[in-house]
Amino acid sequence: MNLKSMITGLSRRGFLGSVASFAGVSTLGASLPGRALAADDNVIKIGFLAPLTGAVAAWGKPGLDGCQIWAEWVNKAGGINIDGTAHTVEFVSYDNEYDPAKARTGATKLIREDGVKFIMMLGGDTWPGVMPVAEQTGMLFSTLLPSDLSPDTTTLIAPAEVHPVYNVTGVEWLAENKPELKTAVMCAQDDALGLPSVATYLAAFEAAGIEMLDEPLLFDPATTDFAPVVTRLMSGNPDIICLDTCYSDYVHPICEQLFQQGYKGQIISCTADFYDQMIEKTSKEFMEGFIFQFPDFDDPAMEAEGINFKHANAFYAEYAKRFPGQWGAVSWEYAAVMDLWKAAAETAGSTEPDAVLTAMLDDGKGMHAFGEADWWGKDLFGIDHALVGNWPVVVIEDGKAHVKALKSIPAWYDKHGELLKKYMSDYGQMWNQRT
Amino acid sequence: MFDLLAQTVLNACYSASYISLVAVGLVLIFGVMGIVNFAHGELFMVGAYVVVALYSNYDIPYVLVAAIGLVFVGCIGLLMERTMFRPLRDNPLGGLVASIGFLMILQALASITFGVRMAFVPPVTQDVIEFTDKIRLPLQRLYVILAAVGFLTALWLFLTRTRFGWALRASAQDPEAAALQGISITQTAKIAMFIGAALAGVAGVLTAPLISVNPHMGHSVIIAAFIVVIVGGVGSLEGAVVASIAYAFVHTFVTTFFDGVIADITGLLLMLLVLIVKPTGLFGTADRA
Repeated sequence: MNLKSMITGLSRRGFLGSVASFAGVSTLGASLPGRALAADDNVIKIGFLAPLTGAVAAWGKPGLDGCQIWAEWVNKAGGINIDGTAHTVEFVSYDNEYDPAKARTGATKLIREDGVKFIMMLGGDTWPGVMPVAEQTGMLFSTLLPSDLSPDTTTLIAPAEVHPVYNVTGVEWLAENKPELKTAVMCAQDDALGLPSVATYLAAFEAAGIEMLDEPLLFDPATTDFAPVVTRLMSGNPDIICLDTCYSDYVHPICEQLFQQGYKGQIISCTADFYDQMIEKTSKEFMEGFIFQFPDFDDPAMEAEGINFKHANAFYAEYAKRFPGQWGAVSWEYAAVMDLWKAAAETAGSTEPDAVLTAMLDDGKGMHAFGEADWWGKDLFGIDHALVGNWPVVVIEDGKAHVKALKSIPAWYDKHGELLKKYMSDYGQMWNQRT
Repeated sequence: MFDLLAQTVLNACYSASYISLVAVGLVLIFGVMGIVNFAHGELFMVGAYVVVALYSNYDIPYVLVAAIGLVFVGCIGLLMERTMFRPLRDNPLGGLVASIGFLMILQALASITFGVRMAFVPPVTQDVIEFTDKIRLPLQRLYVILAAVGFLTALWLFLTRTRFGWALRASAQDPEAAALQGISITQTAKIAMFIGAALAGVAGVLTAPLISVNPHMGHSVIIAAFIVVIVGGVGSLEGAVVASIAYAFVHTFVTTFFDGVIADITGLLLMLLVLIVKPTGLFGTADRA
């Protein structure tokens, strides 16, 4: 059957003209301010520069939602006290769509037009776009991904999430509690988030005496059908299947495939966002014992002594009321960063970036959401700008996530740090290897 | 090893099924209208969101949702033909750019309506055909395979046994001669656009319970479809089907026995190889390239 095309000729000039117009319109749209400027001196503006749309929006938008609740609560309680004067806090968001160029535009706009005092980011692929702005302006930035840190990132901090180092706690707990599980395989998306996590899990499994049956199976982030990946993972009959730091868009179909292809072993993963949906797509029995790293904040353990995130259970309830079914790994993290920033700004009596950073890093300790922690990271990141302490190990039991333990990352690192550095080097993830 | 091979073949059959539905629609639109429809992946996405809207949210029976999805996305195709491609009929580059704009509109509408996060679609069935302990075919995936065979057979019969089908092929081969015979170019363009869009939509409907439904899901599908169209021969429906099967088997086997990143590279190398050895594609001819 032959269908002949009716394409007419195109001139090179016409093609270039159309593409240029398209690019121009796109750029203009991206640079338009997201909201009107305000001029109240008693308002502290905080920038929120993260993906709010696009494939990675799940690690941006829920964080902004959590910050709005945080701001309302803080403002209602009297705001932020700077040198005896109460200030309200307001978030100014910019959707960087996880695009480095848009992140740079956003950072410039937030600093120059909005006058923000601090900018929170997801980081990752977008940080290289923003780094020159940070160097030029001295603005204080935060990232959820400490792999952005290097000796040159002097105004970047990673105060909430020590991804992927905290994944060692899940493997350590697994080895202690299920010593009969001796073999593992792993899959991961081949990107800036997946690879350092692969290195971390490999170190954690080796430290725990768990044998890897195969090389980590990498897949392209554009993958939609995970049946071949799962077939390969299951082919060696492993005791444990590790899903690394896969995005929830991958964790769900992978788990569904594991269920459909008859897997009955242990699953461990960095995240399990919307695990209730995974249970509905598989079964409660299949998901029983699933280990991951991000607790629901309605867990009683989140109100225990030593937990620094204020009113975690109430925060979860409010979040669930406003955004039903949307709770995820990052819903609390940006708010937790703001707790640290607020404390540091009040201590410093200033909102200026350098003063806040100095107050934050003073004495080398900080109040992380999950307990007191150390500013750490010189070994892995070349700078002590990651706040590292305890991290929860979460297990799904009877269809609900439960915090089973809070385990110390520094304690693990003291014993197995060289192993982690070896695997990070093997995967080109040490700060001096990254480009 | 036999188990692994057999399971991989089943996986490849599923993959070939939905890719061929998308690719054949893309070829049909290009062949008849000369438009490279960059929004074709988003038509696939819209089909998946029809499932979210009606099956997930309102419990409407899945088979009925599939029919609604097919017609709805087909109508979006008609809308595209009327508002974009017909006014730009003599300007293929304009049509291409317009389709990119429409792609963004569809993504934005999906984000605004359903949110940016992955949407939940409950399983249609959890039943699995167990050939052995290690060779299993979930019924949901079998549905996709059977539906693809059914739709492509129906399309074949339509194009070869009906007056509309003959008209479509005639106007694609020589639009001026077809017009002299009284065949309406506008009418055939509408039919091609409806069928092409509907095939992408129904592929989205069928796979929605098996993949992550999000506003950007069309991206990866359209890349695979473009590779398939180029390998099969631009404008060739048989080529699209054969290339879909070839691409799916190569990609699935390489993913299983090596890894997914190497599989992507292999898919692109396959395309490169075909372009070097036979630049018109497996089933293409020089006048269609």
